[in-house]
Amino acid sequence: MGLSVFQTPLVVVFVVFAFLLFRSEPGLAQSLELESLRALVKGMEQQLQQALQRIDQLEKEKGAANSRVERVEQSVKAVQSAPSTLNPAIGMALDNVVEQRGKAGGDFDFRAAEIGISASIDPYARGYAIFNGSRDGFDVEEAAIVTTSLPWNLQARGGRFFADFGRLPKLHPHEYAFVNTPLSLERMVGGESKADGVELSYLFTTPFFLRGTIGGYNKLGAENERLDNNKTRSWSRFTYLGRLNSYFDLSDNHSIEAGTSLAYTPSLRMAGDPRGGRRALSGLDLTYRYQPLGSTLHQGVTVGAELFGNSERVERVSGVRRMFAAGGYAYAEMKLNREWSTGFLYDNAPSLISPGKKTNSYSPFVTWTLSEFNRLRLQYGYFDDQVREDKAERGHQVFLQWTTTLGAHSHGFANR
Amino acid sequence: MRTKRRKILSALLFSFLLTGFGLAQAQTIRVITTTPDLADITKQIGKELVDVESLTRGVEFMHAVPVKPSFVPKLNRANILAAMGLDLEISWLPALLEPASNPKIMPGQAGHIDCSTGVSVIDVPKSLDRAEGDVHPKGNPHYNLDPHNGKVMARNIADGLARNFPQHKAVFEKNLAAYVAELDKAIVRWQQMAAPLKGAKFVAYHSDWAYFAQRFGLQQVGSIEVKPGIEPTPNHLVALAQKMQQDKIPLIIYGPQSDRYPKQLAGQSGAAVVRLQSISGGAAETDSYVKFIEYNLKSLLSALKKS
Repeated sequence: MGLSVFQTPLVVVFVVFAFLLFRSEPGLAQSLELESLRALVKGMEQQLQQALQRIDQLEKEKGAANSRVERVEQSVKAVQSAPSTLNPAIGMALDNVVEQRGKAGGDFDFRAAEIGISASIDPYARGYAIFNGSRDGFDVEEAAIVTTSLPWNLQARGGRFFADFGRLPKLHPHEYAFVNTPLSLERMVGGESKADGVELSYLFTTPFFLRGTIGGYNKLGAENERLDNNKTRSWSRFTYLGRLNSYFDLSDNHSIEAGTSLAYTPSLRMAGDPRGGRRALSGLDLTYRYQPLGSTLHQGVTVGAELFGNSERVERVSGVRRMFAAGGYAYAEMKLNREWSTGFLYDNAPSLISPGKKTNSYSPFVTWTLSEFNRLRLQYGYFDDQVREDKAERGHQVFLQWTTTLGAHSHGFANR
Repeated sequence: MRTKRRKILSALLFSFLLTGFGLAQAQTIRVITTTPDLADITKQIGKELVDVESLTRGVEFMHAVPVKPSFVPKLNRANILAAMGLDLEISWLPALLEPASNPKIMPGQAGHIDCSTGVSVIDVPKSLDRAEGDVHPKGNPHYNLDPHNGKVMARNIADGLARNFPQHKAVFEKNLAAYVAELDKAIVRWQQMAAPLKGAKFVAYHSDWAYFAQRFGLQQVGSIEVKPGIEPTPNHLVALAQKMQQDKIPLIIYGPQSDRYPKQLAGQSGAAVVRLQSISGGAAETDSYVKFIEYNLKSLLSALKKS
């Protein structure tokens, strides 16, 4: 009994203790849970706060972006409505040469600051002009209108332009593969085929490229002094041109281009020669190109040759006589890689008065193309001169040429 | 006798007219495209209604395509010209369009399809200055490397064909839907295939691969060219090789350029070199637009494995 009396409070204490123990266990768990919940809520609050801040920031950025877009749109509208919007494309080629011409001496030759502009005139025509400033003065080299929508494969050109005679005569000197205009071209054509007049081209409907051109001009040749460009003349004293030009792909990588031209002046009256007489300048051009399609930037060979024939009455010591002179040039250029190319030019230039006398020149050259718009070229030339007209056209000659292009400057299809 | 002869003549004339009409009806639409990608897509949309030819073969560097006079008669006879636009063809196409004497395919005319219409253009220059190299004022023009843009090109071609030949619009739309479905299916496959490429860093010769990288998650970290169109200097290559070694860049990608600098750089940096196609048609495995994208992906994956 004593044990039971003794035992009763013990049991009670045990029960109470157990009760408290078991009761306190869930209480502890709950408080832990609450704690973690509080932490979770706090974390979520923080995340929410950060998210709200980010939303605010994004809204600000969006607002800033929108205002930027608006500003860009405004500036685009402003540009579109500006009077300069329809201005033509403009560019400039700078061509400078430092040279040592045999016994004639050395020279810094500022050859060209050639400004070119071009734009569509309307749906029917395009206009372009090339103005050239050099130490010889300022000149309009070309200023012409070209039709863009004539029917029957026809295209007309009028104004001042490089007439469709031969291949090299149509190029501006800074576009040549070598430094100088070949003497044969200078003596026989008069440099570039510059002419005031009109011409009409027809693209034949053959499966291969075949184009014919007819033209009529005051005279042909930039340095042709036979006729005065500023005087009126009879129809027999204009120069008339005919040309056929064709091209064939021998394979994907090899091609050949050929052309034949005739510039005919029915009557060229000279002082002291009342008979006058016709002048016929003919040309034959041939170009072979190796352009490996997969590596045109790094490899390629061009071999070009042109033969000229000139028949006219010339004044000699023995009197005025009809003389026929033939000459021409041939060159080959090889691309070594994207930046370097090298080549060789041979030129055979007769005297028009004494065609038996010639100036033969041999000119190796090397070109360093820093970029598409910046080029340096070194050329050596040996001139074997029997004509003896100019000291600068004989002996050993060295040229260093620096040619650059600013802005949009392209001479289009002719410069291929 | 005279009446009989008249009847025979009338019959002959009638049959001649019918034949002529039949021939006119059977005439296919002549489409010239600047790239084989566009030729393939045009063929998929125009099917037997079109006679398509690409001016380029697929091996060319698109900024240096030779101005071949043999392209002129092709352009002259084309009903439609499909071009990539964004000035990709600026160095050669305008020079050919003038002698081609075909006003209806001139830019802005109905027969000229500019396939870049609707493309989300990237790399639009912040400033236009040639000190930055041969920049493209309208942005990166190599958008064909993102297959999603293949769908844009297809839509432009279908619209262009329908604009000029509305009588066949339903056919073009039907073929477009089929082609887009084919592309969509392929895109899902390509995205799965390209998973290992995600985050892969690479050095490119030229910035041809920007759209491709954006689509498949690659990251261009440098270029062999100093600036677009400007060849590298020795100092530039040394610095690039050091950077590649430091950052462990696994890939060098080049296209229709010389392999000289990519191989030299690979030797110095230990990266793998891979030559990709920037347009289709350059090889038998890339003779369609779909095959060309797949070829590039497979080539990259195999190069990445090797690196």
